[in-house]
Amino acid sequence: MSALASTESPAASGPPVPIGSAVQVSAPKLLEAIEISKRFPGVQALDGVNFDLAHGEIHVLFGENGAGKSTLINVIAGTYPPDGGRLFYEGQELRHLSPHHARLIGVSPVFQEFSLVPDLTVAQNLSLGREIARFGFLRAAQMRRRAENLLAELGFDLDPRKTVRALSRAHQQMVEIAKALVSDVRLLILDEPTASLTERETQRLFGLIERLRRENVGIIYVSHRMREIKQLADRITVLRDGKLIGSRKASEVSESELLEMMTGRKIEFLFPAIEHKPREKALQTTGLSVGGVVAEVDFHAHVGEITGIAGLVGCGKSELIRAIYGLEPLTAGSVQVNGTPCEQISPTLSLSRGVCYFPADRVAEGLALERPIRENVSLVALRLPLLSTYGWIRRGAERRLTRQIIERLQLRPPSPERTVAHLSGGNRQKVMLARGLTRDFQVFLFDEPTIGIDVGAKIEVYNFMKTLVEAGAAIVLVSSELPEVLHLSNRVYVMHHGRMVAELGGKEITEQNVLARFFQDSSKGAAG
Amino acid sequence: MDRVGGIQSAAVGLPTTAERRQVLAHSVSLVYRVLVPASPAILALGFGVYVPAVLSLENIINIIQQTAFLFVLTCAQTIVLLTRGLDLSLGPSVSMISVASALTMTAIVGSDGSNGIIAALAGTASGLLIGLLVGIFNGIAVAWLRVNPFVATLASMNICLGIGTSLSDGHPVFGIPEEFNVAGYRLHVLGIPMSIIYAMAVGIALHLLLQYTVVGRSFYVLGSNPRAAIVAGWPRRRLLALAYILSALLTAVGALILTARAASGAPNLGGGLSLQTIAAAVIGGVSLTGGRGGLSSALIGSFFITILSNGMNLAEIGGYTQMLVMGAIVIFAVALDRVARMDL
Amino acid sequence: MSVTSVERVALMERLSARLGVVGLIPFLLVLIVIGMTLVEPRFYSLANLFNILRNTSFLAIMACGQMLVMIVGGMDLSVGATAALASVVAAKVMAGATEAFGVDPAAAMSLGIFISIGSAAAVGLLNGLCSALLRVPSLIVTLGTLSIVSGITLMMTSGMPVYGLPQSFITGFGRALWWGVPAPAYVAVAVVGAVWLVQRKTVLGTYIYAIGGNPLAAIVSGISATFYVVLTFVLCALLAGVTGLLITAQMGSGQTNLGGDRLMLLSIAAAVIGGTSLRGGIGRAEIVGLSALFLSTLTNALNLLRINSKKELVVLGVVVVAAVAIDSLGRGKAAVE
Repeated sequence: MSALASTESPAASGPPVPIGSAVQVSAPKLLEAIEISKRFPGVQALDGVNFDLAHGEIHVLFGENGAGKSTLINVIAGTYPPDGGRLFYEGQELRHLSPHHARLIGVSPVFQEFSLVPDLTVAQNLSLGREIARFGFLRAAQMRRRAENLLAELGFDLDPRKTVRALSRAHQQMVEIAKALVSDVRLLILDEPTASLTERETQRLFGLIERLRRENVGIIYVSHRMREIKQLADRITVLRDGKLIGSRKASEVSESELLEMMTGRKIEFLFPAIEHKPREKALQTTGLSVGGVVAEVDFHAHVGEITGIAGLVGCGKSELIRAIYGLEPLTAGSVQVNGTPCEQISPTLSLSRGVCYFPADRVAEGLALERPIRENVSLVALRLPLLSTYGWIRRGAERRLTRQIIERLQLRPPSPERTVAHLSGGNRQKVMLARGLTRDFQVFLFDEPTIGIDVGAKIEVYNFMKTLVEAGAAIVLVSSELPEVLHLSNRVYVMHHGRMVAELGGKEITEQNVLARFFQDSSKGAAG
Repeated sequence: MDRVGGIQSAAVGLPTTAERRQVLAHSVSLVYRVLVPASPAILALGFGVYVPAVLSLENIINIIQQTAFLFVLTCAQTIVLLTRGLDLSLGPSVSMISVASALTMTAIVGSDGSNGIIAALAGTASGLLIGLLVGIFNGIAVAWLRVNPFVATLASMNICLGIGTSLSDGHPVFGIPEEFNVAGYRLHVLGIPMSIIYAMAVGIALHLLLQYTVVGRSFYVLGSNPRAAIVAGWPRRRLLALAYILSALLTAVGALILTARAASGAPNLGGGLSLQTIAAAVIGGVSLTGGRGGLSSALIGSFFITILSNGMNLAEIGGYTQMLVMGAIVIFAVALDRVARMDL
Repeated sequence: MSVTSVERVALMERLSARLGVVGLIPFLLVLIVIGMTLVEPRFYSLANLFNILRNTSFLAIMACGQMLVMIVGGMDLSVGATAALASVVAAKVMAGATEAFGVDPAAAMSLGIFISIGSAAAVGLLNGLCSALLRVPSLIVTLGTLSIVSGITLMMTSGMPVYGLPQSFITGFGRALWWGVPAPAYVAVAVVGAVWLVQRKTVLGTYIYAIGGNPLAAIVSGISATFYVVLTFVLCALLAGVTGLLITAQMGSGQTNLGGDRLMLLSIAAAVIGGTSLRGGIGRAEIVGLSALFLSTLTNALNLLRINSKKELVVLGVVVVAAVAIDSLGRGKAAVE
């Protein structure tokens, strides 16, 4: 039943075209998306985007976070309908596409959020919706064998009897991919699949992709990582701010061209020039461990400079700064702020010590979406004398402060009473960053600060960081966006499997150096 | 999946097309915003058509007095709802406090009515104290033991039921000092009954609390996004417990007013009252998922439910049918609320 | 080395997770049994043990229904009211059929059972549809139907018990001993066994776990979440109806108030103590059955110790809170929304 077994040529392929001739114009493409538009509250996610995919083609969808890639593939996979435009699949128009229907016709998406049931086994998940049963009774042995065969074919070393919850994220992703290939796949969508894979797993994935291509499966590969694209793509489509910027053959476009299309500006202007003047140590950790995620990390950051931490998704860099702030439990080691060791660590204490943390997931941890901008801005400072006396809120002061900050951060629309839920991603991020201006902070911990926001907003965030650091703060920047870390930091740490494997400064900070360290195991061995 | 009172609930609908949903949500939301404040009046007029007595001056005064009582309790429920919680123990708690304070008073007051004032004060104090204890129980269970609010208050509801019915074997407690009844209910200040004055005081206090104090603001934040509150350094557990304690104190106030009105300890208010306060809050616009609602919601909702109940009584609709209607209204109100909220 | 307060909680979490409430049940059960034998010899009388067995049967059946709804991510507060409805409807039909139409007892019983189960299913249907289609949280829906169904039951009986049941229903079934064991026990074993079978070995069971564990995954795989959610609520109500019938057969009359609130609370307690997660996706019939045994033994012990039913509510309340607390703490941070 797997897509890998059969190689039937697409039914409606038109008159045979002699080998060596030009592009088959008469054969209907696997997928054609015409003038697709989609709007969400506060943001135009897609604006008249055209996209097409041929059989056996690997078509990369390239662009920043927030460019519209996710939205487009969700429309293609049937998660939600477009507000405007039309979709054609094998020449037939698709109307009222549902997620299930999409899968039935051979569209298999592998998203970043997995569609796995955590408390069922791998075999059960792979068979979900297509159980082998007689009179409603499961034939468990058969299903398990089917799962084993599939996994073996794909070269995945997984035990089908294990519960999904017990697997690592990388293994869960393998199950998700296997699930996508379980039925007849004609169109595979991969959304940033290598985010948490090791080099070896990534190469294995690429091998799999190559096999599928030979089976004439069309593949949409979503990424914003240059090196993957070089290795895989036939064609590249670049999106920015929901609009189609251009579609090129991979062989006919250069890296710098792609970057320029992606960001809309020359790369030099994306990142501001920052004058680092490192002074005393503001933050230091010694032998810090968090469960099986962070192991014995020694780390320090200075006032007046940006210290970057780079590494793959899941390497523990987020957990490191969260532990410093008090959101993850320390199992070993210690933290010093401004030279003073911290006996107890909690968000409240960190704030009072002048440490501010901006969470990676602003919707889940940073903002109260239903509340107005004013209440979100004052979130960390409400109990301070400026805004309240003995528990009584000084509404006037709060309003004034909010207006000042709206002005300074150029928040649009500039009304303090606007509900945050109705703001765009970039403006929401600004509301969250606003808290940094409401109190006396010396240390700012940025956790993936530019996820899901447009280029314009990104530049504003970078400038915000610039002002903070040049005014004398210490910034720790944790990011999976390598260019960000490279261009903004004065010193760069690299983490791998929970350990600090490198500390680079000055001229050592290059893409090659950092990347090489991404997969390096330190002499101490991996954590957990 | 949605979370209500901390419980994920199976409101899994088929994915309707997003645009249809948004349009629907928008129009319902609009209608909702206009209709909700007007609904009590519309309801009253509706009943008035069938039963003219509903609109008589005497009845309107009656409605206002009844609402005062329900309003105080709805305020209590609102506080908890704002934090994304739920208080099922409200009804039985009222009974328990009523009986307990009545017993305290009858124990102190002499058979000739002497020591009336002391008895009244003691009764009030004991009522508030017991309310405090219930609030502490709920608060600890929800905030520190991480029991979800629904289960915690379901448990305390039964505990209150158990204690409440045991205290006086299910019989009303008579013999409360007149001073208490007068101060709690019968007294008129400048022509306005005390119950309404208490209600106004509670309302003003609630409004000030929610809009002007850090504690009040914390309820909104906790309900809207508890994780964000933690990251922002709010002492989540203390504040959550405080919500339940404040709510329980308001419940005690309501119970005392009720005792004064009935001139006796009333042991038989069961879960029906809890449901009424939830219905009132939701109808008035308090969100079940927390973070939305306030004084006006409690007020509008209380009026609505009181008028509904009053109207049904005057229209001689049987008690059992009323239970039916109340149940249906709750479901309908929440459904409407869910739809209206989809535009967020 | 500095230790954060968060770490202390993490330690507690690890401890609770390891113990789990489920692991405690056999231990607690043995504790109660030993304690009671020492204090109150009547505990061991055959009559009392049969009593425990009957109560366990009633509770196990209802708790299995509640468990199913919880797995799918909801909760059913109306189970007690539904049981009462089933009780009253069955009694009225059976009594009416024999008295008014002189129908023979067996036919009357069948008719009564059939219509009563049907009425329970109708309640389940209402619960399911409102939950799944109106998108109203099941908590609220069943809070509402609780009221509605109670109202209907009261209207039908004006609060009085319904007499006139065929004798064979009572003596031949409700109060009977089949091969030396109370009849309801057989029904309970059959029900728990059936639910266990469905959960482990059927497609339906897998789908219920899937919808509770990751509803999006289920929908995307083509599983009709609405259909199965409604089905689950119907099953729960049916099981509540069966419980109502069993109790009716034992008591000898249709009861408007089968200790409704208490049974409802107990069913939730039994499900949760039996390892069912309030977040959905997890729950096993056999463990719920075991926890039903535990709770029935506990309430029986309280009864014998002359703690009256009202104070018993207090104890139950505390037990439920404790059980859920241990469960929540064991789950750690996940418990915070």
